[in-house]
Amino acid sequence: MNDNFEQRLRRQPLRTIPPEWRADILHAARAADHPAPTHRPQPIPAFSFQFSFRWGALAAVWLVIFALNYAARDTAPVVTAKSAPPSPQMLLALRQQQKLLAELIDPPAPSDADKPKPISPRPRSELRLQFLTT
Amino acid sequence: MLANLERLYDQHAQPLFAFLLNFTRDESDTCDLLQEIFTKLARQPALLQAARDERAFLLRLAHNAAIDLMRRRGARTRNHEQFGAEQFSIFAAASDPDAAAFRHELSAALGELPPDQRAVLHLKLWENLTFEQIAAALEIPPNTAASRYRYGLDKMRERLRPLYEEIK
Repeated sequence: MNDNFEQRLRRQPLRTIPPEWRADILHAARAADHPAPTHRPQPIPAFSFQFSFRWGALAAVWLVIFALNYAARDTAPVVTAKSAPPSPQMLLALRQQQKLLAELIDPPAPSDADKPKPISPRPRSELRLQFLTT
Repeated sequence: MLANLERLYDQHAQPLFAFLLNFTRDESDTCDLLQEIFTKLARQPALLQAARDERAFLLRLAHNAAIDLMRRRGARTRNHEQFGAEQFSIFAAASDPDAAAFRHELSAALGELPPDQRAVLHLKLWENLTFEQIAAALEIPPNTAASRYRYGLDKMRERLRPLYEEIK
């Protein structure tokens, strides 16, 4: 019975694929292979690309500034050598200069002629009387 | 690539359709799975280059895709729902009432089988694959394929015996 039964099953024709599926399935596969460009707004990338020219111009300005700054800077190498210890003659001359400078800056002691008159402690009424009599 | 895709469709779409329809018991799912398979082939043309047997490779793709789909949806409920559909059949319509009744019962009996046994039965009976080819397509050992076939065929025989004896 097995052979007959199997043969009987084998003889049953299966359903055929609907013909209209072919176009749909191949079209879908083709679309997946070459996805159409989408024009959906993409917030951040679109924003950045929209202003790309301005960002580029700003970068160029900064480059010019850096170039000018680089060209104008002092090209002489800065030497920071240790200075030699001063000689005793130099120290002596320096002290003399300092002394002279101090003398020039400090005012001399005032003479007696320049001293202010001493104020005699008198009552204010006497002063008024002296003024009137004068 | 498009020409190759069309060739693949013309050569293999019908057996893939029958296999998927028998496995999923749903025409809409079958269409979706076929589209998924051919989309995958369009995106990765190199997939088939390493395949020794195109048909076996495509059947394996179809089987894996169908299993994924059933896992996503819950295979048992889906099968029972489909089994309840009176009009559903994986076989062509027959003008002869006896043949129509037998095909209807055969389709229903196949739907009662576990999907693993149903897949083996389908590939053996309607694709004429050897157990080695079935094992390669379903990624199971050949002995497992043979035993699933025996169990499945026995169930079918028991299930269809009254009708088969009647119209024999």
